[in-house]
Amino acid sequence: MRFEEISLSQVSEIAWEIPRTGGMLVPGLVFASREMMEDIVRDQALRQVMNVAHLPGILYRSIGMPDIHWGYGFPIGGVAAMDVADGVISPGGVGYDINCGVRLLRSNLETATLRPRLPELVAALHREVPSGVGSTGTVRLTAPEMDKVLTFGSRWAVSRGNGTGEDVEFTEGGGRLPGADPDAVSDVAKKRGLDQLGTLGAGNHFLEIDEVEEVFFPEAAAAYGLLQGQAVFFVHSGSRGLGYQVCDDYLDVMAAYMRKHALNVPDRQLACAHIGSGEGRRYLSGLAAAANYAFANRQLLAYQVRETVQRVLRLGPRDAGIRTVYDVGHNNAKFENHEVDGRRRDVLVHRKGATRAFPPGHPELPAAYRDVGQPVFIPGDMGRGSFVLAGAPGAMRLSFASTCHGAGRRMSRTSARRSVRGKSVIAEMERRGVLVACTSRKTIAEEIPEAYKEVGTVVDVVDRAGIARKVARLRPLAVVKG
Amino acid sequence: MCAASVEALFSLLTDRRKIRRSGRRALDSGSGPPEERLLSILRQALLLFSLDRFLVRDAGAIMRSGRILVTVRGEPVDDARHSAYREIKAVTAHALTVEEGPSGFTARFVLDV
Repeated sequence: MRFEEISLSQVSEIAWEIPRTGGMLVPGLVFASREMMEDIVRDQALRQVMNVAHLPGILYRSIGMPDIHWGYGFPIGGVAAMDVADGVISPGGVGYDINCGVRLLRSNLETATLRPRLPELVAALHREVPSGVGSTGTVRLTAPEMDKVLTFGSRWAVSRGNGTGEDVEFTEGGGRLPGADPDAVSDVAKKRGLDQLGTLGAGNHFLEIDEVEEVFFPEAAAAYGLLQGQAVFFVHSGSRGLGYQVCDDYLDVMAAYMRKHALNVPDRQLACAHIGSGEGRRYLSGLAAAANYAFANRQLLAYQVRETVQRVLRLGPRDAGIRTVYDVGHNNAKFENHEVDGRRRDVLVHRKGATRAFPPGHPELPAAYRDVGQPVFIPGDMGRGSFVLAGAPGAMRLSFASTCHGAGRRMSRTSARRSVRGKSVIAEMERRGVLVACTSRKTIAEEIPEAYKEVGTVVDVVDRAGIARKVARLRPLAVVKG
Repeated sequence: MCAASVEALFSLLTDRRKIRRSGRRALDSGSGPPEERLLSILRQALLLFSLDRFLVRDAGAIMRSGRILVTVRGEPVDDARHSAYREIKAVTAHALTVEEGPSGFTARFVLDV
């Protein structure tokens, strides 16, 4: 298949290779079905996969997940692993919303008994959990506290009573990325983050109440504490303005580094520095700090969800049983050890709109999940549901332990808004059985189900590729958006 | 063109017609290629909102010694009168272009929303 000047060879039913051309240092590899590829070639994402392949030190392949779509520099749904010795770190390979991610909370609640209370519960969550543009949290950080958030992540929140040790245990990396240095975060970034901790934000961030509709992999579902008919809660948010500012600040630093060292990349949003350089190390320290802010943010949001549900339903913690299944980011760059070309190497894995997916047996997994693999959450659109997956062995061979992160957009925000002009999206969602509470009606119009690919087709690809295995499908009952 | 770009940015954030011209802020592009100067102005403009909750009704620009000086007029957010359309995370450098044509300059910039 050829698209414009890009040639693609189909290497399996669900994998496509873009051969090395020009300055590409490695080939591209995109996971997608033929039908999905017909959509993917319509935007610039494949060109971006090729551009990423130009980055110094990239190993094996520049990888695209089935939810790949056009991003800034790197595609969203892109994975690139760099050699630690001579590779680069690129803020564009992480994205503006550093460590944006998803937490899933399970509960002792059955949806059949919860359903009559849903309107009250959704209204309370919308009221209690700050969301929307410019929303501010209930936590007002002092400068020393901000430094603790940036250093300790979720652990800071738990230390002040906003969570449990179990929350930390079931968060990627224990809710704290090592190497964080608050001094690597600018004063402007810190100022942006001072009153935003514990806020959901806007855009595609959300809280969602779902029902476990179908279980595909009973052993993993049992390990994760998931049962058919059970109510679960999704939290999707990131590092808010602090993370956006860290990215912005370091894009300038990287641009200066590239001028100084005569480094050339095909897109200025791919600005980068060598991992071992002062600029690279400083960005990594700032990145870790922003990632920790995101972990703390989701911890506070999860705490607020737990408290609100217990209060509205007049249940104690034991009866409500709202516990963290897992919390994992999908915008990050992390040092990991992988086998590349037959030998173990320390690499820096950029995941932008891609989720880490460690397989069974990986030493970084909590003991409770070591036999089944890491939980991965793939939120779909707000009408058609989401999936819980488990990391599978193929992820280590094919994708640097990475999988997709969502359904992926198929309509621009403007097209989505135009398509619903004059209609009530909230009423339409209610007809479909999904309650929606939102701060901005524009946001809701941009987030209609039809704006996204069908998440089931995305998940089928990673399941068939052996990257991640389907565990359960979740059906949305209620959504809270900014 | 810089002033129009700032106004366009704020049109995506809110209904500019509801913003009063009660305050002023000054933005300075610094020197550099046209794209760099535009990016600098737009980033500063977005920070007016993100950091100071200041909304821009209109903007004017002058050139001085190779720098673009933009003066914006507007007011702080009043939740009772202003509704935010969407969150803009950042002004990106991706595919940023500034082109001169017969009728003036045209800028293209991409926002992360």
